[in-house]
Amino acid sequence: MKYNKEEIKKGITLHQIDTDKFKTNLIAIFLSTSLNRENVTKNSVLTSVLRRGCKKFDTQEKISKELEEMYGAEFDCGISKIGKNHVLKFYIESINDEFLPQNDNNMLKKSIEILSDIIFNPLVENEGFNKEYVNQEKENIKQIIEAKKDNRASYASFRCIEEMYKDSPIGLYKYGYVEDLKDIDEKNLYQYYKKLVDECKIDIFVSGKLENIDIKRMMNENEGIKDLKSRDAIYVVNKSEKKQEMEKERVVEESLDVNQGKLVIGYDVINDEEMLKNEDVRYIGMLYNGIVGGSANSKLFQNVREKASLAYTTSSSYSYYTSNIFVNAGIDIDNYQKAVDIIKQQIKDMQDGKYTDEDIENVRKIIISNINSIDDEQDTEIIYFLGQELSGRNISLEKYIEKINSVTRNQIQDFASKIKVNTIYFLRN
Amino acid sequence: MQVLENLKIKEKVYTEKLKNGLTVMIIPKKGIGKKYIIWGTHYGSNDNKFIVPGEEQVTEVPKGVAHFLEHKMFEQENGKNSLDVLSALGVEANAYTTNNHTAYLYECTDKFYEALDEFMDYVQHPYFTDENVEKEKGIIEQEIMMYNDYPDWRVYLNTLEAMYYNNPVKLDITGTAETISHINKEILYKCYKTFYNPANMCMVICGDFEPEEILKEVQKRLVDVKPFISIKRIYEEEPENIVKSMVEDKMEVSIPLFAIGIKCAPEKENEKVRTHIAINILLNMLLGKSSTLYQELYQEGILLSTPASDYEFADDYAHIIITGESRNPELLYEKFKQKINEMKNDNIDKEDFERIKKMIYGESVKEYNDVSFIAKMFLSDFMKGINSFDYLEEIESVDIQFAKQILKDKFKEEKMVFSVIKNS
Repeated sequence: MKYNKEEIKKGITLHQIDTDKFKTNLIAIFLSTSLNRENVTKNSVLTSVLRRGCKKFDTQEKISKELEEMYGAEFDCGISKIGKNHVLKFYIESINDEFLPQNDNNMLKKSIEILSDIIFNPLVENEGFNKEYVNQEKENIKQIIEAKKDNRASYASFRCIEEMYKDSPIGLYKYGYVEDLKDIDEKNLYQYYKKLVDECKIDIFVSGKLENIDIKRMMNENEGIKDLKSRDAIYVVNKSEKKQEMEKERVVEESLDVNQGKLVIGYDVINDEEMLKNEDVRYIGMLYNGIVGGSANSKLFQNVREKASLAYTTSSSYSYYTSNIFVNAGIDIDNYQKAVDIIKQQIKDMQDGKYTDEDIENVRKIIISNINSIDDEQDTEIIYFLGQELSGRNISLEKYIEKINSVTRNQIQDFASKIKVNTIYFLRN
Repeated sequence: MQVLENLKIKEKVYTEKLKNGLTVMIIPKKGIGKKYIIWGTHYGSNDNKFIVPGEEQVTEVPKGVAHFLEHKMFEQENGKNSLDVLSALGVEANAYTTNNHTAYLYECTDKFYEALDEFMDYVQHPYFTDENVEKEKGIIEQEIMMYNDYPDWRVYLNTLEAMYYNNPVKLDITGTAETISHINKEILYKCYKTFYNPANMCMVICGDFEPEEILKEVQKRLVDVKPFISIKRIYEEEPENIVKSMVEDKMEVSIPLFAIGIKCAPEKENEKVRTHIAINILLNMLLGKSSTLYQELYQEGILLSTPASDYEFADDYAHIIITGESRNPELLYEKFKQKINEMKNDNIDKEDFERIKKMIYGESVKEYNDVSFIAKMFLSDFMKGINSFDYLEEIESVDIQFAKQILKDKFKEEKMVFSVIKNS
């Protein structure tokens, strides 16, 4: 695998991943911009409207037929929150010519073209998007927002974050807000789109067998991409969030018709100035999190599940950008207090140094194994490099392993002493 | 070893049936870091009634034993849990149970052979005690409750219940809190001895391996067991007709969920793959992304995304199932039935058919991107008596004529079940 990136215009970066591991080419275009309450709902509707049709293929039916004709090339789009950025994601995956019945398909070029058409050459009528499309997609987004309760476990996780970040973009729901939809129409959304395309950070990823293919030239000749302007991109270079200890932990309970209670505990990593400056804290946090709740050997799995039989799922996750550890467990509603006590005990045991060097090494092995398989999955690899790009870093996979290898027990111990409960969230009936 | 090569996608599968009856399949993937192994037994939640080889009387066990057994296999006599031992090596281990098979697996980039020691040891050495069996009941009860909170799981099970009278495919793979309360270590040992015989099992390995070499490594670690001839499984007679055509349930959901089931007769041995491909093409033509029906329903706001659909089958059952969310599932169902009739009466559009066929070909090629996908696919197809390469080989031979026949034979209105979950 060979990875290289190059700014083709100010604010627009082309990333090439040359790999022969796959039967497919995967092309991704990401539009990243600072996330805030004003733009979150617009971004979400905009992503959906663009996929409805472009100048060349003005209906979804025509786009779908074209993709089917290309041996089921798959177009996908979505939005993500990455740190304090909102990322509009557009993908196309198509079969490499080598594995097609006829070898003259030029599938890579066709794929780049159709993806670029959808994003940069939208269907425009009277200085606006198609009215019907905008209205339908507003309805759809409304439905998606209202559906956030349908998956109980992810709803509980989101609610805990929302409670913890009431005044920060981190607490925003990535699909936006129903009450903000009424102000969006086909005209102002198009105006917003033009501004976004001129101002956002653009990252173009091409992954596949690229040897002897001049991707840069393909970009420079592409109708949609060649006309893009240089820009001082408006986005946030992701850094870790500063944390202060809460005076009192918050407890939030909410009722829904669940059979099983969903418990989420949000912890803060109380970071001093020195910790904030050291971006390698993320690697320490990954090891700490692995010991707490990253695998079947973890403290949570062993104590909440195996010893106490309280849960089938229990684990933890670490977010460097927000400086949080989240612990979750699906439990019997009556066992709430018992579960909270056992989970808190695990965090305390970490503070008291009750974990072995073997525990550290085991987690290290799992993390390294995961890093080693990043380039076995095309999308995982792209998302890894996008994360690097948005935090202004460029750590290769080899370097990433070195960083994990260099974390010491003392560092983990120090990290453990900084973990404090912020919010306990419980979804019950 | 028998070697099968697929020239379209440039992959090979090496297959060996060992003396003890175990089938081993190896799909080498040069240059890939990830290594994946999966070991399955042809024993799933449907196998509750059977005759142990050498015995005469029928054994009947509580629902949920196959899945319970899967959970307990990790427990070792030395007090260790193999899942912990494997994670300590840095490998990712897991297991799952389906209607017709149970599988154990791990993936890693390093320490493959150390992990293989533990992996093959635990699958071949069960250790059940009264205490460890009792302890598991609390964990599985939470698993059952977790599934009960998924509306999409409930709408699916409701559909199966409306389709089947007797076939246990309609039941939760986990069993219920009540059925698992009857499980004890004797039952687990009995099921283990019956179904975990090498002749009833298949191992699939995918990654950067030399086939001969990895096969030897597997053989070294095999315990000497005599192969069984065959296990007699008793499936109750299943009527051809459905139980009821409509089922409605309530849960707190933001939009109604629906499922359409079409009960089919279990497939003839040699037509499984072609039938599966033809059904996939037809489902895409009826309700896929480019279909006129989907476009119409999307524009009216009745569908928000394409429903998921598949043809699910094993030795003892077969059905088509379509699931999704809709603002007006009843209208969708009516239009879907109408569309089937139109297609039966008019001819199948040739251009649409060929285009969808191209897409299905591309989808089959994509399956070969990821070692875990490949291994799981070969195992689950093997359990149905299929070699996965057949999907790539047979697709060309599926023509309009054949699809038309399948449409007539399988998409029968009197075999259709409609299930919805509405907001409570």
